[in-house]
Amino acid sequence: MDASLLLELAVNGAFIGMMYALVSAGIVLIYKTSGIANLAQGALAMTGAYMAWIGGTLIGLPIWVAAPLAAAVMFGIGALIERFAMRRMIGQPLIMAIMLTMGMEIMLRGLMPGILGASVKKIDIGIPNAPIILGDILINRTLLIGGLISFAMIVASILFFNSRLGVVMRAVSDDQTASWSVGIRVERAIAIAWGLSAVMATTAGVLWGATQGIDWSLSLLLIKALAIAILGGLDSIPGVLIAGIIVGLVESLATGIIDPIIGGGSRDLVASAIILITLLIRPHGLLGREHIERV
Amino acid sequence: MKRRTFLTAAGAAFVGLQIPIRNALADDKVIRFAMPQDFTRVYTFVTVEYSQGQRDYISLVNAKGGINGYQIVADISDHGNDLPRALEAYERAKAQGAILVDPLSTPVARALVQRAAADKINLITAYSGRSDAADGETFPYVFPLSPNYWTQAGLLIDYFRQQDGDLKGKKICFVHIDTPFGKEPIPILEALAAKQGFSLQTFPYTPPGNDQSAIWPQVRRAKPDWVVFWGAAVGQTVALTEAIRNGIPMNRVASSVWLSESDMDVVGRAQATGVLKVEPCASGQSPKIIQDIIKTVIEPAKGAGDRAKVGTAYYNYGVMMAALMIEGVRKAFEKAPNGPISGDWLNAGLNAISNFDAEGLIPPTTVTNTDHQGGGQCRIARWDGSKFVPATDWFSANQDVVWGEIKKSSAEYKASGK
Amino acid sequence: MFYRRAGIRHTSYRSERRLWRLPFDRGLVVAVLIVLLILPLVVDRLYLVGYLLPWVIWSTAALGLNFLMGGAGQVHLGYGAIIAIGAYASAHAARFGVPFEIAMVAGGLASAVVGSAFGATALRVKGLYLAMATLAMQSIVDFVIIHVPAISGGGQATLRVPPARFLGIDLTEDVRSYYFVLLVGIVVTLFVLNVGRSSFGRALAAVREKDYAAAVIGVDSFRFKLLAFWVSSFIGGIVGALLAFCYYRAISPDQFHLDLSIQLVAMVIVGGLGSILGSFFGAALILFAPILLNQAVGALAVSSGLGISADLRAHLPLLLYGAMIMGFLLIEPLGLAKIYDNIRNYLLVWPFRHAPR
Repeated sequence: MDASLLLELAVNGAFIGMMYALVSAGIVLIYKTSGIANLAQGALAMTGAYMAWIGGTLIGLPIWVAAPLAAAVMFGIGALIERFAMRRMIGQPLIMAIMLTMGMEIMLRGLMPGILGASVKKIDIGIPNAPIILGDILINRTLLIGGLISFAMIVASILFFNSRLGVVMRAVSDDQTASWSVGIRVERAIAIAWGLSAVMATTAGVLWGATQGIDWSLSLLLIKALAIAILGGLDSIPGVLIAGIIVGLVESLATGIIDPIIGGGSRDLVASAIILITLLIRPHGLLGREHIERV
Repeated sequence: MKRRTFLTAAGAAFVGLQIPIRNALADDKVIRFAMPQDFTRVYTFVTVEYSQGQRDYISLVNAKGGINGYQIVADISDHGNDLPRALEAYERAKAQGAILVDPLSTPVARALVQRAAADKINLITAYSGRSDAADGETFPYVFPLSPNYWTQAGLLIDYFRQQDGDLKGKKICFVHIDTPFGKEPIPILEALAAKQGFSLQTFPYTPPGNDQSAIWPQVRRAKPDWVVFWGAAVGQTVALTEAIRNGIPMNRVASSVWLSESDMDVVGRAQATGVLKVEPCASGQSPKIIQDIIKTVIEPAKGAGDRAKVGTAYYNYGVMMAALMIEGVRKAFEKAPNGPISGDWLNAGLNAISNFDAEGLIPPTTVTNTDHQGGGQCRIARWDGSKFVPATDWFSANQDVVWGEIKKSSAEYKASGK
Repeated sequence: MFYRRAGIRHTSYRSERRLWRLPFDRGLVVAVLIVLLILPLVVDRLYLVGYLLPWVIWSTAALGLNFLMGGAGQVHLGYGAIIAIGAYASAHAARFGVPFEIAMVAGGLASAVVGSAFGATALRVKGLYLAMATLAMQSIVDFVIIHVPAISGGGQATLRVPPARFLGIDLTEDVRSYYFVLLVGIVVTLFVLNVGRSSFGRALAAVREKDYAAAVIGVDSFRFKLLAFWVSSFIGGIVGALLAFCYYRAISPDQFHLDLSIQLVAMVIVGGLGSILGSFFGAALILFAPILLNQAVGALAVSSGLGISADLRAHLPLLLYGAMIMGFLLIEPLGLAKIYDNIRNYLLVWPFRHAPR
């Protein structure tokens, strides 16, 4: 096993991990404010990518206009979902609310391909395929740029939690009733969280859509994203970033080292093992807050 | 109050759903084909175009008066690659008197093999299902009617041999999705590697294959003479994109029948120039049969779908399969003009297809009681930036190795289940 | 109106603790049972194989999962893997020549052992974290089945199961399979119904409501969670054997993917968490809604002659199906069983609006 291959796999793996982390960050954002794991995050990414495709290809806008436009539309859609679906589940068992997002996932998966056509769509975000070559190491330009954009988005959301609105949202996540009593508009904060999460999903959808094409399978990002969110700690955005990089790195290296030995794609197996081990050692994820239960 | 309105509405909706399940057709001059296929899940990448081709060809036949005065009815439904749904669709087809079922899904086809044999319904498993179903003696009611994956792998290796003269000492990388489907060609490749002296390296990627960034650097470093990538849907386009990014020369990269124009759109038409695929039938609008469809079905606006899709690779696969099925019906009428129309009757017809080339669309195909694959002929086509151009004539190769594997596997099947 | 009583009146604890407390309910159960017994003799094979048989099997699976999720409050996203273990274990046992009766139990035991061994490690966490841990189990089991040809059955990854005989009765024929599956379903239902009335069931309920609180009152929550995993996995294993021998008759890894697990969780939740009746309702809705919606949309597209695109035509049922799940949850978050219960309660006190207390 030569070192430069490992280095190459590690670098590209880290970037791809950040792209996964961007999907997870949306899940964490919603979980942090309302305590619901959004199983429709993958489908939201798919929807966002389709929106960008509508703007970029159907209408013919340049991608740097179409993508922000799609993100703006998706912000609205996210907020509407909260207003008309999730808000009605307040006070109901959590699992029901989670199932509701699951139903939404199924619906979106029928809606977008049904209206726009099931065949794979291409979205070109203007990143050339020619790789960057450093000595013996080749860095995938799409992953590099995708990873950096994801990184920037996640850092921005960490900063956001230090802004005034962010502090409000932290308060909401701490104790909804207490926030209410000091005059915070809890519903509005949660709606904003949904909107922002949809924006993140759109960004992730466009980035992933650029690497794999846009079709329903973008919604499959959910499983990996959920795993990363759990690993990082469901309520920690920095945790997600670290977890994403770890999962990306380890998976990528495992493909290079373990696959030839066991003769199979060990990527998911390794991811599962990481999750299990983390949960055994740190049941609340890497940076997640320990949940203190009252009896 | 709200709840009660809802309950009333739900009740009304429920009653509305009780649409008569058996829509009996009054006229009996009808031959029923059932096409429960996967429009919404795993096979979305192919089904819409494939089904469109099938329906357009059947419309063409019906527009010309059908076969012997019989109209062909194709029941299209969606099974979403979900087995209970597929079994329901199959039983429905059977109850309605269908004599042929084309599920276009590997898991569904595998689950239906035994039922179809027991019910004497012809199961079409084109480009899907069990590869060993080519053995008509073990699987009398299963018809792949198309070159199976083993044959496709054998053809690709033979094409490489034709190009390089000799494969001794060459290195071939096989990048595949890590599912039973993806691993299927490996025994053939290994057998051929031992026989022809090339070295084989396999790289499995995790399904669905949307992230292969860790695979292709290894392929690049292996410095292969040829690369074969084996997957479907998103895995194919990602594989090709990653190959381009890793600077692997496109004219040394090849895949199975699962590459289409829309994949090329996703990858970038110009960038993918040179990539090779196995072509079981001609693509494009030039074959006579497609021209007929355009004239008789598409132009009077009776087409089953988007006109732009007519003549794409998967559309033509659909036409190919429909043409073979209908040739089976024709042959069945030749053998027993008075029927009765049954699975048995069609079975005899399908087994009698001989040297049929669908007016140049497909290679001359002969189906016999023992060979349900139809001869295993294909050609290799090369993407030239705007369409697939045949690089070879129809040919068949390495069938001895393939049939060895077919026989081995079908014997295993026979031995099991006792 | 049907119940002929305005209110709930029990004159003894015995009558209050009965499985079916009202004569009408008893009659309903008997009537449904009789219908289920007669149906296969009168309906076409389409309805038997397409609807009845899968409905009973999936309901049994949903019962097993509901026992864990509703009964003990433990989320499980890897129930498909549990079923797979049962299916493969029993199929391999039968191929070794073990009689079907024993093979089926062996399948159940294999699932129970693996499922609870796994549960023992995963139970350190709960809620969503437990869901993720069980999801990891799903992918590990999938991986093992696909990558060990000795399990999956060679290159074609399809394992034919030998014909099953139960107490000398051949089960390869669909009507007999149906009766056998129904028998198993009834046994499981009765078991689950009665667990709710036992100390075991009450301990599980305590654990479900709050495991720390349960520990305080002397219920060993870990032990009971593990027991719940064991029982539920055993039922899952039996269902796996039923699926393999009475329904699919040839098993391949695709049949037990994550999709199956999610489908089962959806059945439990849409039906009603912790509700036995809900398991049957949920199974029916999740299994048949896509099929019926497909037919309805197909028929509509044909009869209205609207030129809707093939893509929309294919995806509309999926869309409606998702919307239906959402709709049911928005209107009655406690599931279909709760809707039934509301109707029943309404009729129970009819013509009054509320029961006199």
